[in-house]
Amino acid sequence: MRKVSSASKNADRVFRVATGVAASSPVVFLVVIALIVLVQAIPSMKFNGWHFIYGIQWNMGNLYGALEHKNGVTAAAGASYAALPFIVGTLASSIIAILIAIPISMFTALILAYRVRGVLQWILSILVELLAGIPSVVIGLWGIITLAPWVRDNLAVWLSHLGPVVPYLRGPVGTGLGLLSSGLVLAIMIVPIITATTRDLLMQVPILYREGGIGLGMTTWEVVRYICMPFIRDGFVGALALGWGRAMGETMAVLMVSGSAMNLLPHNLYSPISTMAAVIADQLDSALTDASQMAVHALAELALILMVLTLLTNFLARWLVTRTGRRRSTKAGVAA
Amino acid sequence: MGKSISVTDLKAWYGDSLTLKGITMELDANRATAIIGPSGCGKSTFIRCLNRLHETSPGAKMEGSIRLEDEDLYTMDPVDVRRVVGMVFQKANPFPTMSIYDNIAIGLRLGGIRNRTELTDRVEKSLKMAALWDEVADRIHTPATALSGGQQQRLCIARALAVEPEVLLMDEPASALDPVSTLRVEELVEQLKESYTIVIVTHNMQQAARVADKTAFFLNGELIEFGETTGIFTNPVDKRTEDYITGRFG
Repeated sequence: MRKVSSASKNADRVFRVATGVAASSPVVFLVVIALIVLVQAIPSMKFNGWHFIYGIQWNMGNLYGALEHKNGVTAAAGASYAALPFIVGTLASSIIAILIAIPISMFTALILAYRVRGVLQWILSILVELLAGIPSVVIGLWGIITLAPWVRDNLAVWLSHLGPVVPYLRGPVGTGLGLLSSGLVLAIMIVPIITATTRDLLMQVPILYREGGIGLGMTTWEVVRYICMPFIRDGFVGALALGWGRAMGETMAVLMVSGSAMNLLPHNLYSPISTMAAVIADQLDSALTDASQMAVHALAELALILMVLTLLTNFLARWLVTRTGRRRSTKAGVAA
Repeated sequence: MGKSISVTDLKAWYGDSLTLKGITMELDANRATAIIGPSGCGKSTFIRCLNRLHETSPGAKMEGSIRLEDEDLYTMDPVDVRRVVGMVFQKANPFPTMSIYDNIAIGLRLGGIRNRTELTDRVEKSLKMAALWDEVADRIHTPATALSGGQQQRLCIARALAVEPEVLLMDEPASALDPVSTLRVEELVEQLKESYTIVIVTHNMQQAARVADKTAFFLNGELIEFGETTGIFTNPVDKRTEDYITGRFG
């Protein structure tokens, strides 16, 4: 009988510990990061209260003057922190991005899955994936140099003609750096991820069901609309949630084209904005000079809100799906 | 009422491989024609040409002419063709996201019927024609996928019948079913041929003998023999037909 050597027993022990550590690390990281953000945010919660969520002014106070004590915490005199403009900016730019990305991604995915074949399908798929690989700072640079002037001179001017019908489209169109450009840049960044996921989902729709529809005299669009889309619906919402999360958290590209507005709620589609992620990146440097550290705590609270909002919107999307959806049995084949 | 189909010199390819090598045959109106032959002989490809489903496959091509009475199927819009030439597939394929009712109503709705009463009547009528109504009458709004395999296949027949086609193509409709369900489908074909032209592909020679008025024997993409079912099975002219039906190959 073969005796297990102590070396291989040790190797097995190392293996078990290593896989255990590796497998638990995502959970550990998630919990640790969430805890750190939460702990860092607590002083800001005490200092600002609920005002943080509905207020508009972000003011670090007099960093070289006296300190102010309030609710057991310390901040620079005259400091006041509130995140509403950033929350609104984040949500508004993400909504614009997702509204633009949904049709583009869906139709691109349909073409990739059903219309083109062979080499062309391969090349187009690679192109979509390459688009996903462009660093966000590069997209941001393109946004400043090309997109923003085009928005300012063309798109925004044209859209503002619809101002009498839709109030938010009314001018002035501003500099081109603002909500609309942020939404467009985000759309470009989330289209590849939604497209690639949706394409894979569409390719999983069994040919049997599609031929059933075709055989019944459905047009290509009707097959997609009544058979394929309902079939992939849960997965499609998952793909959108993925894109939405990316849009909410995207930092650099938005920071570059948003116009970095502070203390200002967007009043039309072209207003300069700031998003939560962009403000954290933008303000951290000066926040670190705050001797009371309250500015950093306020940014941590902003990060906490970003995390919670991303999670909440994700759950909301999934809840909407399960609520409206009839439960679908997976045993669709022949059971005879 | 069913319509007759005349096929002239039909050739079909998948990529470079020639699957049908020039088929010419007349399919009579209001009769059931069985297509028999070993696997890969082109019988499925043949009926997929009849509703122009063949051309939706990657790399598929066809040549020749198929006429539905006086209309050329290949100058019509393919979508219109499929509304007059219905199809039942080898594997039951009810739309998995829809209820029993919606599986049938979808074709009617897309055909322009909006009136709820009319929809409900037509759904009920189709389910009765497919001999499924009694089994599902109390649960037509439940998911179609909860039905048994045989019931699903009859639902697919009901779905095809609901849009009132003139021709019904059946691609081995009972090959995945148990004997009892198979018998029900065969009885159905027996009744349906009074109002439809039926073309049924089958592996099962007893089935062809039971349900079909005429039978065609395909081999390697060619039509070897075609005639009245009784003649084909009792007195085949071609040696290859005889070998096949007596079980010497295939």
